[in-house]
Amino acid sequence: MTLTLQPARVATGFDEEGMLILDEGQRLVAVLVRLSDDNEVAPGQWYLEAGFGRLVGGGHPTFADLDAAQDWISRRLAHRS
Amino acid sequence: MGNTLHPEYNPLVRKLDSIFPLRDDERQALLNLPMQIVVIKEGQDIVRAGDHPSRSCLLLSGFACVYKVTGDGKRQIAGFSIAGDMPDLQSLHLQVLDNSVSTLTPCRVGFIPHEALHDICERYPRITSAFWRETLIDAAIFREWVTNIGQREAYTRMAHVYCELMVRLRAVGLADDHSCDLPITQAEFADAIGASTVHVNRVLQEMRANGLIVTKGTQVTIPDWETLKRAGDFDPTYLHMRKAQAAA
Repeated sequence: MTLTLQPARVATGFDEEGMLILDEGQRLVAVLVRLSDDNEVAPGQWYLEAGFGRLVGGGHPTFADLDAAQDWISRRLAHRS
Repeated sequence: MGNTLHPEYNPLVRKLDSIFPLRDDERQALLNLPMQIVVIKEGQDIVRAGDHPSRSCLLLSGFACVYKVTGDGKRQIAGFSIAGDMPDLQSLHLQVLDNSVSTLTPCRVGFIPHEALHDICERYPRITSAFWRETLIDAAIFREWVTNIGQREAYTRMAHVYCELMVRLRAVGLADDHSCDLPITQAEFADAIGASTVHVNRVLQEMRANGLIVTKGTQVTIPDWETLKRAGDFDPTYLHMRKAQAAA
C-alpha cells in the first residue's frame, strides 16, 4: 500500500512536528508526531498520536524513523483487510 | 520467610483499629493469625488469574497492583495496592481468581491461610464486618477508576490517581505532610489510566510545569493540595475514610 505523507503541526502542547498519513484513497489513517527532545520516554522518535479505522485500538507505538512507521501502518492496514 | 511480626508493625491491626477501636481479644486474635512472610522482588505475580488460592495475601510493605490482561496481551491495571491492603481477600469466598496481583516494587507479603481467616471470622463478627467492608471499599475504588478512565481526560486522570495514592498512603502513615515515596513508573501509570507511556510523560511534564507536583527521584511532593484535588476532580468519599484522613 502506498501512503501519502503530509506535514502538519500538531497541538500536543509541546510544539511538535507531525505528519498526516493518508491511504491510497486519500483518507486520513493516522497522525504521527515527532516527539520533542524533551520527551523523557522516546525523545526524537515518531509516535502514533492517533490512528483511525483499522488502526483504532492498536496502541500507540513509537518508531525510530518514518519508514518504520509507514511499514507498521501498511502492515496493519493490509493485515485486517 | 518467617511468621513473626511486631504488633506495632502489623498493618492489618493498624487498619482495622482505624475503623473501630479493637478490643484486646480481637487484637490478639489478629496478631495470632498464622502468616507466612515472604519477600518478593519487583514485577512478580503474587497470584494469577485462574488460581484457586487457599490463602490470602496481606501486603506488609511495597507497592503492588491488581491487573487483568486482554486477549491480545495488553495489561490494564485496575488498582494500586499499598501496605495494609489484602488485594485478593475476595478469594476467601470466590474459588477462582479472575484477576492477577503483581508486585511493582520489592514487597513483603504475608500469606494467611483461608482456614485461619474463616476461623477468625466465625469467632469475631466485628472482624468479619471489617473484612466485608474492605472488599466493599475495593469495589468502590474500582467504580471510581472506571469513571476516571472512561470519562476524564488524561491530565485529570493522572491528577486523580495522585490524589488517591496520597490520601491512602497518608492513612497508613506512608506520606509525610504532602510528600511521599511513589516508586510507580510512567509505564505503570500508563496501564493504570489507559494512556500511552508517551502521553503519561507529557501529562507529568505539564503537571510539573503547572506546579501540581514536584518530583525528585521517586519522591513526590504536592505543593498545593486543593489545586491538585480540583485538577483531579477528586472527591475522597469513595475511600470511606474518617474525615480527617480523607482531608489529607
